[in-house]
Amino acid sequence: MSGSANVGVHVDHARDEDPAKMAEFEAKINAGELLEPDDWMPQAYRQGMLKMAEHHANSEIIGALPEGEWITRAPSLRRKLALTAKVQDEVGHGQMLYRVSQDLGKSRDQMLRDLITGRTKYHNVFNYPAPTWGDIAMIQWLIDGAAIMNQKTLADGAYGPYVRTMKRINMEEAFHFKSGEDMVLTLMSGTKMQRQMGQEAFDRWWYPALMFFGPPDKPHAEQLPPMRWRMKTVTNDNLRRRFINRFAPAAIDLGLKIHVVKKDDNGMVIERKPDENLRLDETTGNWSFTQPDWDEFYRVIRGNGPCNAKRLALRRFSYEQGRWVRHAILRGNAGLPPAA
Amino acid sequence: MSNVREQSHPSNGDLTSPAEGDLKPYVVFTQLNRGDPHMYAGCVDAADQQMALQFAREHYGQDQKCVNIWVVPKEAVTATNYDTDLIWRHTDQTYRLARGYSKPVKDKWRKLRRAEDLKEYEKDDLKETF
Ligand SMILES: [Fe+2]
Ligand SMILES: [Fe+2]
Repeated sequence: MSGSANVGVHVDHARDEDPAKMAEFEAKINAGELLEPDDWMPQAYRQGMLKMAEHHANSEIIGALPEGEWITRAPSLRRKLALTAKVQDEVGHGQMLYRVSQDLGKSRDQMLRDLITGRTKYHNVFNYPAPTWGDIAMIQWLIDGAAIMNQKTLADGAYGPYVRTMKRINMEEAFHFKSGEDMVLTLMSGTKMQRQMGQEAFDRWWYPALMFFGPPDKPHAEQLPPMRWRMKTVTNDNLRRRFINRFAPAAIDLGLKIHVVKKDDNGMVIERKPDENLRLDETTGNWSFTQPDWDEFYRVIRGNGPCNAKRLALRRFSYEQGRWVRHAILRGNAGLPPAA
Repeated sequence: MSNVREQSHPSNGDLTSPAEGDLKPYVVFTQLNRGDPHMYAGCVDAADQQMALQFAREHYGQDQKCVNIWVVPKEAVTATNYDTDLIWRHTDQTYRLARGYSKPVKDKWRKLRRAEDLKEYEKDDLKETF
């Protein structure tokens, strides 16, 4: 899982930039050309791309934490192998995206430090708990599914290194998503207890998945720099609609009920009722639904979600515990083990 | 025949001038379109990076569309060994590939969903990876 959709890219465009260069830059983008790190680009574009790639990198490595906890408790050897490989993929995505960010001008160590100290953010969705194996299944189906939808559109962007990285990442996301589908299908075709576990996990993850695409669009989102400069190519609300049109009917056919929920401070559901707004509009082909609680979204972004402190504490712990390894590598005396 | 060639006599034995040594090999990577990955194209011998670039343009940049070239001293490339380094393990790794799941997933969906709904849903799959 991963994604960068809800990073707020506020770019102050065209300020103090050479109008001729700016025109050439925008012409390139409109012609569908890819930009490379050494090409001229407005300062705001470079900063915006850095913010986006860094946020995405942070999300990949934090996203690996809740799932990593479940490796030792996977229900079969095959699931354990798959989850190990998935977590390894996510950390790898983080590595690739930190590389892209470094080329945009920020040191990797600074990025890791800023993440731990809260100066930069990661995706909101990873601040929710995964208390059962059902959550692992739902995360891989819904959140990796949402990530693919989002990242497919990011792969149509204009910044070459980011676009190439998205394509590479999406190949692996396809595995995450398919294995998630397999787990969800297994749970929902299983015993009453398994189906209940699936439903409860679904109740915890449906709304975080809808929030995954970020807050409702600002007016004229297409004309604002993130889309005009093809840092993003589809608006948040359009992505969310695509997601619901795909996943709501699938969930219903799986035997899941779509609930509007109320959660406690630990992210556990304390109240739920069927989403009364959920229906297919036959004329438009779109599903209508109850909007996520956007106050909750901003509360969690500000650091007050169920798992914010826990995730960052683990990241800090591993950064500090790994210090001697990094030092040994930097000093050049950490020889690699001989190949097996 | 020119005078010069008439005056050059066939001779045997060692050359009188000392051996000169070779130019250095450079590996060449070409990019066919902006935004594409650079691909290994071959090698050139050159005295320095600028000369290597010039030769690479001549050898690899003319016979097909090419928008960018990288040259790297061959000695800077570290590679694995075919015989001793196993990269792709030979055991079953389908658990970490999307296609390892496509059939069981399809079979399970079929029991739950109408064919046309499934088809609609699968439209958003990343086809190239399954
Ligand atoms: Fe993923
Ligand atoms: Fe990922």
